Amino acid sequence: MSITINHVTHIYNPGTAMAKTALDDVSMEFHDGEFIGLIGHTGSGKSTLIQHLNALLKPTSGEILLNGENIHQDKKRLKEIRQRVGLVFQYPEHQLFEMTVYQDVAYGPTNLGLSEEEIDRRVREVLEVVGMGEETYEKSPFELSGGQKRRVAIAGILAMQPEVLVLDEPTAGLDPKGRDEILDAVQEMHRRLGLLVVLVSHSMEDVARLADRIFVMHQGKVAFSGTPKEVFSHAKELEQIGLAAPQVSYILEGLRQKGFSLPKDIYTIEEAAKAISDCLQGTKK
Amino acid sequence: MSEMIRAEHLTYEYVRTVEEEKGSRSETVLALNDVTLTIPKGAFVAVLGHNGSGKSTFAKEINALLKPTKGVLWVDGMDTSDDELLWEIRQSAGMVFQNPDNQIVATVVEEDVAFGPENLGVEPEEIRRRVDQALETVGMTAFRKDTPSKLSGGQKQRIAIAGVLAMEPECIVLDEPTAMLDPMGRKDVIETIHRLNKEKGITIVLITHYMEETVDADWMVIIDDGKVAMEGTPREVFSQVEKVKGFGLDVPQATELAYRLRQMGLAVPKDILTTEEMVGALCQLQSTM
Ligand SMILES: Nc1ncnc2c1ncn2[C@@H]1O[C@H](COP(=O)(O)OP(=O)(O)OP(=O)(O)O)[C@@H](O)[C@H]1O
Ligand SMILES: Nc1ncnc2c1ncn2[C@@H]1O[C@H](COP(=O)(O)OP(=O)(O)OP(=O)(O)O)[C@@H](O)[C@H]1O
Ligand SMILES: [Mg+2]
Ligand SMILES: [Mg+2]
Repeated sequence: MSITINHVTHIYNPGTAMAKTALDDVSMEFHDGEFIGLIGHTGSGKSTLIQHLNALLKPTSGEILLNGENIHQDKKRLKEIRQRVGLVFQYPEHQLFEMTVYQDVAYGPTNLGLSEEEIDRRVREVLEVVGMGEETYEKSPFELSGGQKRRVAIAGILAMQPEVLVLDEPTAGLDPKGRDEILDAVQEMHRRLGLLVVLVSHSMEDVARLADRIFVMHQGKVAFSGTPKEVFSHAKELEQIGLAAPQVSYILEGLRQKGFSLPKDIYTIEEAAKAISDCLQGTKK
Repeated sequence: MSEMIRAEHLTYEYVRTVEEEKGSRSETVLALNDVTLTIPKGAFVAVLGHNGSGKSTFAKEINALLKPTKGVLWVDGMDTSDDELLWEIRQSAGMVFQNPDNQIVATVVEEDVAFGPENLGVEPEEIRRRVDQALETVGMTAFRKDTPSKLSGGQKQRIAIAGVLAMEPECIVLDEPTAMLDPMGRKDVIETIHRLNKEKGITIVLITHYMEETVDADWMVIIDDGKVAMEGTPREVFSQVEKVKGFGLDVPQATELAYRLRQMGLAVPKDILTTEEMVGALCQLQSTM
């Protein structure tokens, strides 16, 4: 599935004193099977934008196309669109409501009218993916810790097997191991099923490592876009709009200033370790 | 009194009733299990632990939202199981919770920030000063007339922090205050709480999943399944990379890079925490090669 965002403007409370332009003529193009990173300062419009992707919000002007079709063309298809574009909200725990963890995750597949075996299979699979063991199945979501609730909410969306997975800061509040587990799971689903993934994140490290392309939002507009290497080469500009480059790039920059000859476009720990080691082993000879 | 917080054999058990066909039974979760620790006044302590390890439960104990099932917890010498001391305890130890939505009470940002000091009976002029300063500190002055419910997640989080700052408590417990912030916002908040700690001597208890945020703390406590699993300065703790990861945690990026370089055979020190230290260590290493 591909998504086209065509000159989308979104104004909250239009025509009132409270009117707020959250998106201002935004255009983006996400291709089938891509891993997209969406970053931007708090309030830059990321959550507003992604709620347009499954028609939870309607553009004030402009249009959203799924595989070339305007998603608001046919009201009867909204339910189908919401199933195909799975959206994990910024505070997904607010949407937990069923009696037990198991029932909560089973809710979506049950609504799809799947067989009981299929529902059971999916629920178990996705709960394993997010690292929730069988001992948690009968717990109430409300007695889970913050991070555990997050995992259950993500599992609920994964169980719908969407074609596009949109995640709004899915790892905020997760412990490091949980963060890696969830992101590995997302990456695995992306690879295995060719899912288009849109990841909203405040972690420059995660986005640098995972995304094929990054869009940077600033005050409701697109400030930059490109591959991680292209986007993070603008460290100074990113800092001016509330962001940063991945931390390891500051270490490499410091080393370059001390005369180390290191490549400029390194944004992950793996690459950094290798480059530094190569550089120093070179010195030894 | 030089102890801000003192826990002795602090234990907390959540109890819930499970309805079953045969009747109901109760189920317990041991969230804190015999925790003994002391946080001196003026300290900056970071608390780490995996999801569900008991950090928020500990925070709620300090705020007397929960009472110990066993053991005792003193906040500035006050026993938190004493109902008479409830308000004094809450004024002494301010709290910023994981989810800002539950903390916002007013329909205008500056009224929300003023809510705490108003309840404490602070003079209007002083309230004005504190509200202005708190909003300035969290970088939200421009939004002071806005409606909190219409702000983005990160913006709300900053308002919640401003609300506690305006109470000027002796101790602030922050339960993942930066989880929803952008990198600069995160830096702002961490710098802000360090400043409050240094300049005003406010004791800080910071619960976080961002390892970077803890490197300048005086002391670090790792909680694992309700128990204190490890304690020490960030340098002592993070130099034990494998042990820390065994608790479902991580180490700062510079520490991780040093760890990998050591595995690749380079003689980089174990206890590196920051960018500057990493750069320094590599310069020194190069000069010896
Ligand atoms: N329901 C709403 N009514 C009015 N204004 C809103 C509403 N939701 C968001 N806004 C405003 O729209 C702008 C964009 O908000 P949005 O939530 O999309 O930002 P964001 O990039 O997701 O931020 P964060 O990183 O903090 O989650 C902000 O200025 C916010 O205050
Ligand atoms: N209201 C509750 N009723 C029953 N059990 C609970 C309740 N709240 C928390 N628990 C359980 O207590 C344990 C500790 O939870 P707590 O919220 O203190 O963890 P945490 O360390 O703050 O986790 P996180 O990093 O996810 O915020 C967990 O096993 C959790 O499932
Ligand atoms: Mg958002
Ligand atoms: Mg918690």
